[in-house]
Amino acid sequence: MRLLIVEDDRKLADFVARGLRAEGFAVDLAADGREGREHIDSYQYDLLILDLMLPLISGTELLRMVRRSNPTLPVLILTARDATDDKVKHFEAGADDYLTKPFDFAELVVRVKSLLRRTPVERADVILVSNLEVNRLTRQVRRGGQNIELTGKEYALLEYLLSSPSRVFTRTMILEHVWDQSFEGVTNIVDVYVRHLRRKVDDPFPVKLIHTVRGMGYCVREAQQSAEAE
Amino acid sequence: MNHRSLAFRLSLWYSLLLSATFALVGTGMFYGLQQYLRSSLRDSLRRRSVQVEQILDQSRPDISDAEISDAINTRVSPEFNNRFVRVTRDPATLAYRSGPPADRSFDPKAVPPIPGDWLNSGVVRRTVTVQAQRLMVSATRIETPSGRYLIELGSSLASIDALQDRLLALLGLLLPALVVCAAGGGYLLVNWALRPVDRMSQTAEQMSMKNLEARLPVVPTGDALQRLSLSLNHMLKRLRDSVQNSRRFLADASHELRTPLTVVKGELQEIVAGVAVHGEMRERIGSVLEEVARLEHLVSGLLALSRFDAGEAKLEWSEVDLAALGESTSEQMRLIAEDRGVELESSTLEPTVVRGDRGRLKQVIVNLLDNAIRFTPRGGSVAVRTARDDLYSILEVHDTGVGIPTAALPHIFERFFRVDEARSREDGGAGLGLSIAKSICSAHGAEIEVASEVGSGSCFRLVFPRPETATGPRVSARANRSDAALRHKPQSFSVARAPATFSPGAASSASEVGAGGSSQPAPMP
Repeated sequence: MRLLIVEDDRKLADFVARGLRAEGFAVDLAADGREGREHIDSYQYDLLILDLMLPLISGTELLRMVRRSNPTLPVLILTARDATDDKVKHFEAGADDYLTKPFDFAELVVRVKSLLRRTPVERADVILVSNLEVNRLTRQVRRGGQNIELTGKEYALLEYLLSSPSRVFTRTMILEHVWDQSFEGVTNIVDVYVRHLRRKVDDPFPVKLIHTVRGMGYCVREAQQSAEAE
Repeated sequence: MNHRSLAFRLSLWYSLLLSATFALVGTGMFYGLQQYLRSSLRDSLRRRSVQVEQILDQSRPDISDAEISDAINTRVSPEFNNRFVRVTRDPATLAYRSGPPADRSFDPKAVPPIPGDWLNSGVVRRTVTVQAQRLMVSATRIETPSGRYLIELGSSLASIDALQDRLLALLGLLLPALVVCAAGGGYLLVNWALRPVDRMSQTAEQMSMKNLEARLPVVPTGDALQRLSLSLNHMLKRLRDSVQNSRRFLADASHELRTPLTVVKGELQEIVAGVAVHGEMRERIGSVLEEVARLEHLVSGLLALSRFDAGEAKLEWSEVDLAALGESTSEQMRLIAEDRGVELESSTLEPTVVRGDRGRLKQVIVNLLDNAIRFTPRGGSVAVRTARDDLYSILEVHDTGVGIPTAALPHIFERFFRVDEARSREDGGAGLGLSIAKSICSAHGAEIEVASEVGSGSCFRLVFPRPETATGPRVSARANRSDAALRHKPQSFSVARAPATFSPGAASSASEVGAGGSSQPAPMP
């Protein structure tokens, strides 16, 4: 899988490229719109990650050109503009997804994988982490053979954390997926719900599965490797 | 009529001036006419007197009274001319006296003689009153061959007096009427001249920080008014430019911060997620990351505010039931409240639909609820209430928390304002939440108000004008507004209202809410 990142901020481009390479992608970089167009004309890409404010040719302009020459190439927009009509405008111009700076890299990976139609999230009906078993069809949660009763939000939170086991989910990601943006930056609602979830899922058992990663968020994994839960 | 208005004072002043001028002119006219009439009467008396003198002078020394009579009657004919003539011969013999005048205005016999010795008394002219008639009588002494005579010629002053009376009446009626007309006309004229100023002030009234594009109407009068409107417009333009510059700066700055923030956050997250870092180092980077998250919220808050300031924030309008939104939001926050040992009460709210952006309104309610829960001690309660009347839809968030000091109330909607520095900072608040809430409300045409008392709790209230009365006057209905939620709190709260015109409103609003809460039954359907 070969990706092109068109981004004029060198450091941001480097950081994203490094992360994506670590995920197993081949990544090319272009620092302005013209270079971006040359790359697109010369190589075959599976995904384009596009900043909007670019020198020489703007991202919006480039997006239109790409759509004319290459209608099926998935395009993920990366921008500091977060106004709704900006988003609408670019979706109309042919963007497939939209990510606002400052984004979480984990979120970027999820979006990239989703655009590449590689199952970014766990699709199995039953998710199993250690002895925790979540049935997505019946919404039943069992651990060590015991049934665990969860409220709707608690279940949604657990299911989201399990969508990609051992990946760290930031509070922003959790809020956006389980709640909505109204709660962003205001409440500690995520921490409260994680605490309640732990009380039911982890407390009765010696092995803890829900881990806090300070400064980042939460993840669910078996407690081996670098596990220093809280 | 405003007694201090320019029009009123101007009219008053020049009415006074006009009255004074008229009084002077009137007096001058009156006395001038009197002088003129009297002097012409004097002249006419003098001429007759000369005629009588000639008769006596040219007469023989032994002329008889009958001859004198004949001569005077023929030459002077005083009765026809309504004159009085009396000739007295030295020492005191009546030589001639005219008969009653044709108009019977006086009786000649009743005219008193010159008192004392007429030969030596200096009386030349006098005014005598005969049977309520004023007569001007002039006297001439002559010496003739037939002896010394006193010739008295007189005439009634009645016609002069009548003329003067009529003049007085005319002036007395006409001048005040003129003054009144001039004052009224002047008042209208000044008001008319000031109308452009009125229009200018109306336009200026409608301007706000968000609407600095409007310009005052320029009156093409070529005078001070035109210059005033032009220079005010110039000032507005400069004001707009500088406001735009500062907004642009805020927006650009928040914007530019986002890319480096992404890098900082991303790199640090990568380090933390990696396996190479352990223990204390991990904690420290985590702590830095927490600060980065705060910075992130700050930047997005500032960007949101700058967008509201610039009027660029787009709202997704739909019909929103405040009650349903309040209930569902409370439901989502219930666990947070329980966690803090605070009771959250939001059952059976009165449905009231407003037009608005559901997401933004939810953001406001989340913010208010979060604050309420955060500042309410364990065992307290937080309640959401809604109410509506003909004019307003209202949503209130009450708490029995620590309250807000009166001194802080006017500032709590200001950016970066914190009631208690240490406490809020510890909780991670950036001090932008209420400013954003206020901006969101303003964008909806709603107001956000707060009432609070230290130790008893606070009440934040969102007031939405009902759609059909959106343009209706706000003030008149204020007092009637249903104070459902405040009913159970008889204390008088201090109130702050979000719009910046704060200072004079604080005290009066406080009493208003207090009164509404204690004495008024809420007029709710």
